[in-house]
Amino acid sequence: MSVNITINGIAVTGNDGDTILKIASENGIEIPTLCHHESVKLYGACGLCVVEAQGVGKLLRACSTVATDGMVINTESERVIKARKIALELLMSDHEGDCKGPCTLECPAGTDCQGYVKQIALGNDREAVRIIKDKLPLPASIGRVCPHPCETACRRGLVEQPISIAYLKAFAADNDMKSDDPFRPEMDEKTGKTVAIIGGGPAGLSAAYYLAVKGHSITVYDAMPKMGGMLRYGIPEYRLPKKVLDAEIAQIAELGVDMRNNVKIGRDISFDEIRSSHDAVLIAIGAWNSMATRCKGEELDGVYGGIDFLREVSLGERHEIGENVAIVGGGNTAMDACRTAVRLGAKNVYVIYRRTQAEMPAEEIEIKEAKEEGVVFKFLTNPAEIIGENGKVKAVKLQIMELGEPDASGRRSPVPVEDEFETIEVDAVIAAIGQRVNPTGFESVELNQRGIIKADAASFKTNIEGVFAAGDAVNNGAGIAIAAIAEANKAALAIDGYLHGIDISYRPEYVSRRVVSEKDFADREKIARQEMPHRSAEDRRRDFAEINLGFTDEQARNEAKRCLECGCHDYAQCSLIRHANRYPIAPDRLSGAKHTCEVEQKLVCIERNQGKCILCGLCVRTCEEVAKKGILGLVGRGFPTVVKPEFNNPETIRGCADCLKCVEVCPTGSLKIIKK
Amino acid sequence: MKIVIGQGSCGIAAGAAKVYKALEGINTGAFELGSTGCIGMCFLEPIADIYDGDVLVKRLVHVDEKDAERIAKAVCENDLDSISDLFITDDDASFLSQQTRIALRHCGIIDPTKLEDYTAIDGYRALKKALCEMTPEEVIDEIKTSGLAGRGGAGFPTWFKWNAARQSVGDRKFMICNADEGDPGAFMDRAVIESDPHTLIEGMLIGAYAIGASEAIVYVRAEYPLAIINLKRAIEQARENNLLGENILGTGFSCEMRIKAGAGAFVCGEETALIESLEGKRGMPRLKPPFPAQKGYNQYPSNINNVETFANVAWIILNGGEKFAQMGTPDSKGTKVFALTGKIKKGGLVEIPMGMTLREVIFDIGGGIRDDAEFKAVQMGGPSGGCIPADKLDTIIDYKALGATGAIMGSGGMVVMDQTTCMVDVARFFLDFTAKESCGKCVHCRLGTKRMLEILERIVAGEGKEGDIELLEELCEGIKDGALCGLGQTAPNPVLTTIRYFRNEYEAHIKEKKCPAKACASLLRYSIDADKCIGCTACAKKCPVAAISGSVKQTHSIDAQKCIRCGQCASVCRFGAVTVC
Repeated sequence: MSVNITINGIAVTGNDGDTILKIASENGIEIPTLCHHESVKLYGACGLCVVEAQGVGKLLRACSTVATDGMVINTESERVIKARKIALELLMSDHEGDCKGPCTLECPAGTDCQGYVKQIALGNDREAVRIIKDKLPLPASIGRVCPHPCETACRRGLVEQPISIAYLKAFAADNDMKSDDPFRPEMDEKTGKTVAIIGGGPAGLSAAYYLAVKGHSITVYDAMPKMGGMLRYGIPEYRLPKKVLDAEIAQIAELGVDMRNNVKIGRDISFDEIRSSHDAVLIAIGAWNSMATRCKGEELDGVYGGIDFLREVSLGERHEIGENVAIVGGGNTAMDACRTAVRLGAKNVYVIYRRTQAEMPAEEIEIKEAKEEGVVFKFLTNPAEIIGENGKVKAVKLQIMELGEPDASGRRSPVPVEDEFETIEVDAVIAAIGQRVNPTGFESVELNQRGIIKADAASFKTNIEGVFAAGDAVNNGAGIAIAAIAEANKAALAIDGYLHGIDISYRPEYVSRRVVSEKDFADREKIARQEMPHRSAEDRRRDFAEINLGFTDEQARNEAKRCLECGCHDYAQCSLIRHANRYPIAPDRLSGAKHTCEVEQKLVCIERNQGKCILCGLCVRTCEEVAKKGILGLVGRGFPTVVKPEFNNPETIRGCADCLKCVEVCPTGSLKIIKK
Repeated sequence: MKIVIGQGSCGIAAGAAKVYKALEGINTGAFELGSTGCIGMCFLEPIADIYDGDVLVKRLVHVDEKDAERIAKAVCENDLDSISDLFITDDDASFLSQQTRIALRHCGIIDPTKLEDYTAIDGYRALKKALCEMTPEEVIDEIKTSGLAGRGGAGFPTWFKWNAARQSVGDRKFMICNADEGDPGAFMDRAVIESDPHTLIEGMLIGAYAIGASEAIVYVRAEYPLAIINLKRAIEQARENNLLGENILGTGFSCEMRIKAGAGAFVCGEETALIESLEGKRGMPRLKPPFPAQKGYNQYPSNINNVETFANVAWIILNGGEKFAQMGTPDSKGTKVFALTGKIKKGGLVEIPMGMTLREVIFDIGGGIRDDAEFKAVQMGGPSGGCIPADKLDTIIDYKALGATGAIMGSGGMVVMDQTTCMVDVARFFLDFTAKESCGKCVHCRLGTKRMLEILERIVAGEGKEGDIELLEELCEGIKDGALCGLGQTAPNPVLTTIRYFRNEYEAHIKEKKCPAKACASLLRYSIDADKCIGCTACAKKCPVAAISGSVKQTHSIDAQKCIRCGQCASVCRFGAVTVC
């Protein structure tokens, strides 16, 4: 006998006695459930599998409701979704754990830092690179230059110092590239669709990589002689040797990406022509104009923009800068500029910064190394006037500043000290105070008030059909490379969707996070972070060769082993988080008492984390019904209920046969196999 | 002459056992001394009835052991006027005279320890009639005619359940009585078992015959020790008299009966959780279907009814379903017992025909609000029920009409509240109860009631936030839809009804940080009225945290920072100088 029912408007057939859940599942319709498992009896605790049946007042639990002929079921009605959302929000409000490590969550591109650090610890560099390249196709380059928000977030910092995640990434990528069999992604079938990517910087190259992997034909157009964008023309050789970048770009080219240099939009080809000859376009042109200082004397010969100066040096167009050089600004570009000036032979290099070192946005290591190389930092000064002689820079007059009230960014804003000035003799002034987008050639693309290309923050669509934009040229303007790559990845997904006729908008993933402090790690052994071997200041300031010498194999493995593995071991398989991301949920509004992670009880070879337990009872029921042991039970009533040895009697644990069946059925990461 | 002392649990609590003992001590055989169960007039306990033969001559109330001697003397000398101060007043007597008693028909009249008392007033005649003169189907038809519905709360037609269990195929069938009465403020089932256990046995046996069960189980909470003793004795008596066991009354029908004492989990009043508990498992509800009628106790077809439902059965068989159905409304037939408690003048058990209004029950039978205060609301149906406000007092007692208010008939708890009751705090109280009594199985109940409780606790503590009411409402809807069993599905009712009728009180707590009923301590501010304070220092001496300062004959003042809002100053002040706002 068979039953004919309708699920979501589709007529389906099942066997007499089948539940709605079974028939739906057999017909490829997923009804979420957390407490149901075929191997054990019906239970009905989670309430996720509710569905609406026409003519029935109550919502039905699909796991237990036997389908009857003619039933009309809706598995995703508004009421159903509402009930499921409440269930998921309630569950997440009492779920204490880290789905992902803070390193991954803080990485703009969401690279699985914990995953690749683990592989490096195990000596599997190729596997590490595979994991990295899931999100970042330029690991050797980015590993060298990234300001690594991952490390700032790293919880090892609560023990002593964070893991050296960025350098480990470069280490694995270098090794992989040197190997006989470097990682190469699996390519999807060719789609026959073409995508033009305008701009061959980190964003453009990254999008090219992911779209090529998806089977699309990619052409990257770039105005400069070589690919790499700011990685090549904005970052000095001593931080990122161009041969490393070349090798990574070559790997992308090997995927069949057509790379065309010296093509400037509006000069060599019109934007319309590009648009009309491709199925989709990604604008990733970056922000290549230096911001002006807007002080008197700016037009003098010897005043340069920071990125312009770095570009000229990279191109080999400039070999000297003068004896006395002032760099204005406190960011990483200012550091690159002052250290480049040192390497060009400047004797006195000054960094003019209107606040103090504590407020500097540049990385601490950059400041430290610049100081070692002899750069003089003039904090709390601001150029008031650039003084010239015969049209050429002669000196810079500095207004002395002091710190006032905090501004919108929380930093104390500098205010001039009346009538206090200082003048220093200089041959050149380099203004590294910011970058601007130059949208020339993209006149049909809509800009925001700040003159930056406007793209939808979730879909990366511009005002023109089929044209997307990402990276420094978009919305918020210039940022760090990994942020541009992150945007490019999301844009690539949106473009891939667009090429398949699907509208894809990026939605931030919901994850569970723990709030921790130093106390939580008080019992950890302190192991110092491995210091990156590097050339001495005296040695390195004379040339542009790479400063860092790279980790030894032993150093890298030891460093990687320091990882605390904060992210949940079960994240990839976790049904809870998968369902939690099915609907937009906001569990924080229901925050209250929680079961904590602190109490961890060890079964024979299983570690149980009450904080992650959702009381679906599958372990208890499997132990009783499948393993026929019955050593687990629910203890307590209501909210305080926990899974414990039956009747809260620890002695019962002795009956455990290590069958691990409970771990297999656990829908979350509450149970974990530990080594005996 | 015979003196009969009401010795139900509440009578004993009020001192009935001491009165009995005192009378026993002085009785030299000049009068007869007897016991009975609970008459339901809690507000008059201990009660002593004086009988001349079978005729109740006088009812004495609020008797004390010290009165024993003069009562005995008055009875012996036939000079009852000498104890006229103990006579029940006509007004108090009307509490009973306005009732129609079916389920409680023998309570407070017969001696529950004596089978002969029961058989003397038609006891077991209904069983005999059913077994000898009726087929099981005819019994079910009679119940159907009566319109009897489950008195435990849900109000499901009894005949329908019996018929389903009758139709269900099984080697063994079970007739189960749910005597796990757990609603705060409800105690009618206890009264029936304590005061008239044979009525329950007879009702269950008739039901067992109707569905074809050969085994009967009474699941009674262990907190009812007297009920268990009386029921156990009654089961023995019935067995000894061939009213229970093999070949009952020679009719060929056999049925065993046993008691299972429950360990006190409220959720075990839910029928599937009760079955799990009976089976020796953790008391957690099962998925329905299968319904107990299909797969119940140990997977056998089972039928579960509550005590009050069974207490009506013998009467219906004896008097006919038609007669039962004549009482009540088109939707709700017969009578219903209510446990009238709270701020009511006459608290106790009230059995009235369906269709009477709440006002009649509370004001005519119950005598109105204690201290003649203003009525605010009546809570019906316990943790699954809701609060009905003053403007709905003319609602009739009927499953549909009560349901329309957002409350439910429930098992019959009727808690009366006056203006000093904070409705937000009432909701918090019931949520605290359900959250603690949740079995923890399903997400919506385990976590939903907990989160709702946390929000309510926040509100009464003065930490309510804009949007809390809406969040509560959203949670309520989610829990109603998602919870596995009746406990969870109905847990939002106290919150929903208080929001519906007393939303302004919630808003006052959240927005103005004020409790209009002046019940939520965290929101109260105590101060001393300088015009009234004479500086007697009484409040300062009483204050447990030394928050009151001021010297003799000087106006005192309260340090709001130190004050813990215990209210002792206000209660000790003889001049009404302590004001609360």
